[in-house]
Amino acid sequence: MSIHNLNPSIKAITIILCVLLLTMVFDPITPLVFILWIFFVTIFVAKVRIKKFLLFLSPFLIFAVGMFWTNVAFANEPINPTDVVSLFGRNIPREDIQTALSLSLRILTFASLSLLFLLTTNIVHFILSLMQQCKLPPKLAYGILAGYRFLPMIKDELVLIKSAHRVRGVNRAKTLKEKVRQYKRFIIPLLASAIRKAERTAVAMESKGFTGSRDRTFYRQFKVTPKDWLFLIMMLSVLVTLITIAWQVGYFRWYNGEI
Amino acid sequence: MNNWRLKEVIVMAALSVVFGVVYLAFLPVGGVLVGFMGPIGYEPIFGIWFIVSIITAYIIRKPGAAFVSETIAATIEVMLGNGLGPIIILVGMIQGIGAEAVFAATKWKKYTLGVLMLAGMGSAVTRFIWGMFQGGYIAYAPSYILAMFVIRLISGALIAGWLGKVISDALAKTGVLSSFALGKIYKQRKKAA
Repeated sequence: MSIHNLNPSIKAITIILCVLLLTMVFDPITPLVFILWIFFVTIFVAKVRIKKFLLFLSPFLIFAVGMFWTNVAFANEPINPTDVVSLFGRNIPREDIQTALSLSLRILTFASLSLLFLLTTNIVHFILSLMQQCKLPPKLAYGILAGYRFLPMIKDELVLIKSAHRVRGVNRAKTLKEKVRQYKRFIIPLLASAIRKAERTAVAMESKGFTGSRDRTFYRQFKVTPKDWLFLIMMLSVLVTLITIAWQVGYFRWYNGEI
Repeated sequence: MNNWRLKEVIVMAALSVVFGVVYLAFLPVGGVLVGFMGPIGYEPIFGIWFIVSIITAYIIRKPGAAFVSETIAATIEVMLGNGLGPIIILVGMIQGIGAEAVFAATKWKKYTLGVLMLAGMGSAVTRFIWGMFQGGYIAYAPSYILAMFVIRLISGALIAGWLGKVISDALAKTGVLSSFALGKIYKQRKKAA
């Protein structure tokens, strides 16, 4: 089964459902095992290169370490203060360590889930599929696609505005304060030109007969096939199984314990 | 969405794209602040992530502007590579609902500075409720949670509400908004003066 060819909407829904389920989990083992499963799917089933995957994941490793530290440092009063673990020469309640570990692993789980989505999905296909499967109004869908196409143009525009300012004798910003002031000078002309472009695009679309009606045909059609549902069921059942095992063995915790 | 003109939809999308980039650019800024101050580091600049709701609602003045623009900006953020992925779209919707609720309470009629600031705070409230669960704030000490919440509210009011109004007014003065609700008000004001 190729993850790249799955229906983008179903893929996104699967990921969001997994994230929502994981939000309820406050023990460290369930997310850890689930991360291993996502790694397996991304690298062996979707065939994303390990190097690329780890490169994208690395900022989140740092973020997760930060999350672990703050959760230990700013934790709520533990229910069982005598049960401590020694870490970095300090005694820290076992409960705080568990919650901190679980929250930082959760960040990594979310990040790897979304990388599984981002690295296997064409974004234009995603919007088209949202329009065809999730009833996103065509006016909005093509509006977003048009806006997305503006991005490189806006980048060019920024260069243009910069040069125009230089020509008129505005010096290059050196200090941080000057840089902030410089961006203040850029933002209005940049937004103004983006709005003008958007207006022109709208006129062009309407003059070519775009009405925004749902009753239209598509050049690229997206359909939901059984293998899309198979992917959704497979991902969710792995997670639900993990939670059930955790429940049975007794290490499962969810957020109620923290209030 | 049916009573929207195509022009308005595309201008909203264009604004959302620009601010989607801004949102993404501010993530590392927040990251640095978090590195210095702990999770509270995001709070002083949190309002920046609500600003597109305020700007589009203030310019276009139609039901849904705040909600849809924030959702699109979040979608663009995901497309450009916010590592948290499709869930950010859901977060964008949650932020949008907060601002939209405030505009809905005025029946989408009042767009004074006060209402705009309240809308920014509305986003802060809904986003905080989401963060309590998904971000796991609930595990922090209550006084720390309260401090986070208050700073986020102020940031929502000032950065999203006040700065959003300043930017939109400056744009209206350039004349590019002449066919939108805010630009029309400026034109009338000019005629009257």
